[in-house]
Amino acid sequence: MVVSCPAPARSLLVAVACLAAVAPRAEAEPASREAFAFAVELVKGADPDMRAVALERLRDGLPGGAYTKELAEKVLPTVPADVQVRLISTLAGRRDAAALPGLVSMAASGDEAVTAAAFRAIAALGGGGQVPLLVARLGNGPVSDAARAALVAIQGTDVSPQLAAAVGDATLPAAARGMIFEILAERRDRAAIPLFVAVAKADDPELRAAAMRALAKLGGPAEIPGMVVGYLTAPAGKERDDAERAILAVCAAGPEAKAAAAAVLAAYRAADPGTQETLLPLVARVGDPAALAIIDALVAAPDPAQRKLGLTALSRWPDAAVKDRLLGLLAQTGDDGERRLLVGTLIRIAPIPNNGLSDAQRLALLADTMKLCTTDDDRRRILERAGAIRTVETLRFIVPSLDAPPLAENAARGVVELAHQQKLRDANKPEFTAALEKVLAVAKDPVTRERAERYLQGKTWERR
Amino acid sequence: MAIDPASLDAPFAALAAFDWGGDATTLAPIDAAVVAAHADAGLRADLEKRLAAVLGSQASRAAKQYACRKLSLIGSAGSVPALAALLGDKELSHMARFALERYAAPEATEALRKALGGVEGDLTIGMLSSLAAKRDAASIPAIATLVTGDSAVAAAAAEALGLLASPEAAVVLAGVTTSGAAAEAVVDARLACAEAMVKAGRKADARAIYEALSKAVGDAPTTHRGRAVRMACQRGLFAAMEG
Repeated sequence: MVVSCPAPARSLLVAVACLAAVAPRAEAEPASREAFAFAVELVKGADPDMRAVALERLRDGLPGGAYTKELAEKVLPTVPADVQVRLISTLAGRRDAAALPGLVSMAASGDEAVTAAAFRAIAALGGGGQVPLLVARLGNGPVSDAARAALVAIQGTDVSPQLAAAVGDATLPAAARGMIFEILAERRDRAAIPLFVAVAKADDPELRAAAMRALAKLGGPAEIPGMVVGYLTAPAGKERDDAERAILAVCAAGPEAKAAAAAVLAAYRAADPGTQETLLPLVARVGDPAALAIIDALVAAPDPAQRKLGLTALSRWPDAAVKDRLLGLLAQTGDDGERRLLVGTLIRIAPIPNNGLSDAQRLALLADTMKLCTTDDDRRRILERAGAIRTVETLRFIVPSLDAPPLAENAARGVVELAHQQKLRDANKPEFTAALEKVLAVAKDPVTRERAERYLQGKTWERR
Repeated sequence: MAIDPASLDAPFAALAAFDWGGDATTLAPIDAAVVAAHADAGLRADLEKRLAAVLGSQASRAAKQYACRKLSLIGSAGSVPALAALLGDKELSHMARFALERYAAPEATEALRKALGGVEGDLTIGMLSSLAAKRDAASIPAIATLVTGDSAVAAAAAEALGLLASPEAAVVLAGVTTSGAAAEAVVDARLACAEAMVKAGRKADARAIYEALSKAVGDAPTTHRGRAVRMACQRGLFAAMEG
């Protein structure tokens, strides 16, 4: 049964159905010259609706290289820039490489939007032959962005080799060459991995960093030795930190993560003592349990310098697996510096989510650490970090410190951080209400007070 | 599995007394019999006769609707008179059409065509809808008489002609005088006719319709609908020009 519907809706339905159905693709049938001329006339005309219809027809119908060439080389240069952008997109949609010469000409347009549109179309239609044109425009701004996106998307077996060759082109700015690494990585081109590894130890810091970033995305255990060389080549500071992050990314992702971590440890073992010293923080940060024996030996060494290296490495461990070692060392040491380092590490690792401990264990570790603290600074840090363990027991742990003036402000911050968790707050309303009222009584920080007031009113988010 | 017609006596007795809110499980044997009847002509004829009898009885509206649904699955020319008798009934007309639309028998279409001249208002719109759904070209002259003025019936008649989308329907639509929503329905119907003509290879006829409609809305329509019609015409013209 055909169901009758209100006239306006029915009219629209019929019109839409008509719009959708009257334009079948006519690939096999030769397209009409009259229709092509009509479409070109509408493209050049002033009516945007009609232009849209014509562009759609030119994109989906009227096939043939002759039409494509005429559009790209005769019509395209004669229309205004905004229409050029649309017509270029239409040409890309025709999927006809006959448009390429015209599009390459338009890429030299002084209008950035037109150039960017041409690059997008070239990405859809072109291949290795257009790589030099796109590489030459890498730099800054929207045209560079479009060239970069085009180089990521453009197809062809000869694209990546040309990009790899461009990395060695000294006439290109280092930033552009670095960008090519990113492009190769985004193309997921594993053939470029040896190049990344080679450049990871290059003289140019920008290229080194770009190569390490690319390896972070594509590298695996086999690339770890090369990445370790890159890490060692990087001077201490931001570049080495970034290199460490790149290696950690390889060691943290995928089914080969354990093998990658083992490769880091193998590189450490194969290194000379001086290099090992540089690598030790990285080894510790990777957190391979097999590395603990090395760190334990260093910590137990009679040489204070060796012990300091071991303790520093321990302080970089990524999770709570070393908590018992830390507590044990803390109980034994009489050195203030060591105490600060060990307590600081415990404060850092105890509340980390997914650190291998349950909420209760994390809180118990934090409470144990609190007992070992000798300064209010450390106690204050604990009170603020406690908010990361989102349980009512944590609230009960923090609240007594609201009565200790040196700790009250930090305890108040810990309370409001917990109170931000609406479900936790609502499930334990009387306790949170009492705690937040106490926060208002002791806290001076306006942000803390405002948050406490808001949570007391049952508002988690500030609505303006 | 063969079904003994005698086993359906009790379910049909339950149907005679059935109403909304009643126990529908008592009708389950009839549902099963309707399914089985597709491979059993004798059972199908028996069921059709019994269901048609329900339509002429004092059974409730719910029972008659049930009978219409089942007849839509197994009915033939034999039950057309019983269904046709309901086409003028405001409460049951739509369910009778529901069944007749699915009948392959020409008597069903004939019954709908006859009813078109004998009902009014929403029931007329229903007949138009069913005749269009059955693609009944023979009803075009009767439908043509309804495409006038600015009524819901006129709009429905135009829509029906658009669904029929034949050259004859296009001729009728080109000559009608309507206004308001009905006029919009006529434009939509003409577009539908032109589209069908393009598909049928009658591109010159289609082109004439597109050009006429495009001219009617003008070069610079100010309404969204006007622009949409103009764009539809241009797209149609492309399709008519190509090939």
